[in-house]
Amino acid sequence: MNAYLPPLVIDVRVREENARGFRIWFPFFLLWPLLVILFGFMLVVTALVDLALLASGARYRHYTLLVLGALRLLADTRGTNVKAISDDSHINVDIY
Amino acid sequence: MNEDRKRILGMLAEGKITADEADLLLDSLESGAEAAAPSTASSASSDWPTGPSVSGTPKFMYVKVTGKDTVDVKVPLALLRTGLKLTSLIPPQAMDQINESMGERGMSFDLNNIKPEDIEDIITSLREMEVNVHSGDGDDIRVFCA
Repeated sequence: MNAYLPPLVIDVRVREENARGFRIWFPFFLLWPLLVILFGFMLVVTALVDLALLASGARYRHYTLLVLGALRLLADTRGTNVKAISDDSHINVDIY
Repeated sequence: MNEDRKRILGMLAEGKITADEADLLLDSLESGAEAAAPSTASSASSDWPTGPSVSGTPKFMYVKVTGKDTVDVKVPLALLRTGLKLTSLIPPQAMDQINESMGERGMSFDLNNIKPEDIEDIITSLREMEVNVHSGDGDDIRVFCA
C-alpha cells in the first residue's frame, strides 16, 4: 500500500545572487483527500466499465488497472530531484 | 557598495581599526559572500554518483547537463518501471495512435514489444548504459543510472 502513496511534500528552493531567495514547502498531502475522492470515483466508474466489457466479451478490460497504474506512477515520482544552476540563480526542486 | 563594506571603511576612517585589520575584515567579507553565493557548476550535486553503478540494480536515472548553465535531474527508476508496466495496460487503439505519433517524429519503436516480464531485465541492463552528448555550443549532457 505504501507504494501507492502520492508525494507528501514538494520542496522548492530558489536562491538568487542579488535578491533574497525563498523556499516553499508545498504540502501535497493536503491534496490527498481530493485525490482519494477523484481516484475513488474513477475506480468505481472503470470497474463498472470493465465489468460491462467482460460481459460483452471484449478482449481489453483493464481500465481499472490503468487507473491504479496512474496512481502508482504519481507515487513513484517521490525521490525526484531537479537542480538548475545558472550564473545568478540556483533552483532546487525535491519531491518527497 | 554594501553596508558591511561601508561600515568597515567607516571604522577605518574613524581610526577605530588599522588598515591591516580593515584589509582582513574585507577579505573575510568577500570569502563569506562567495560561500553564500549560489553554488558553482562543479559543486552542484556533489553527493550524486559520478557514473553508472558497477553492481546491483540501479535506483535512479541521472541526467547532468553542464555548460553555461548546469541542470541536474535525478529520477527514480521506479517511475520508469511503473511507466513501462503501464504501457501494457494502454488500450490497443490508444497504443496504435501513440506508435503512429512516435513514428511521425522519427521514433519507429513499437511499445507493444515491451513485455511486463522483460521490464526487470531492461532496468538491470540500464546499469551498463551511459549516454554522453557534447553539443556544438559547449554543453555536455550525461545520462546514466546508478
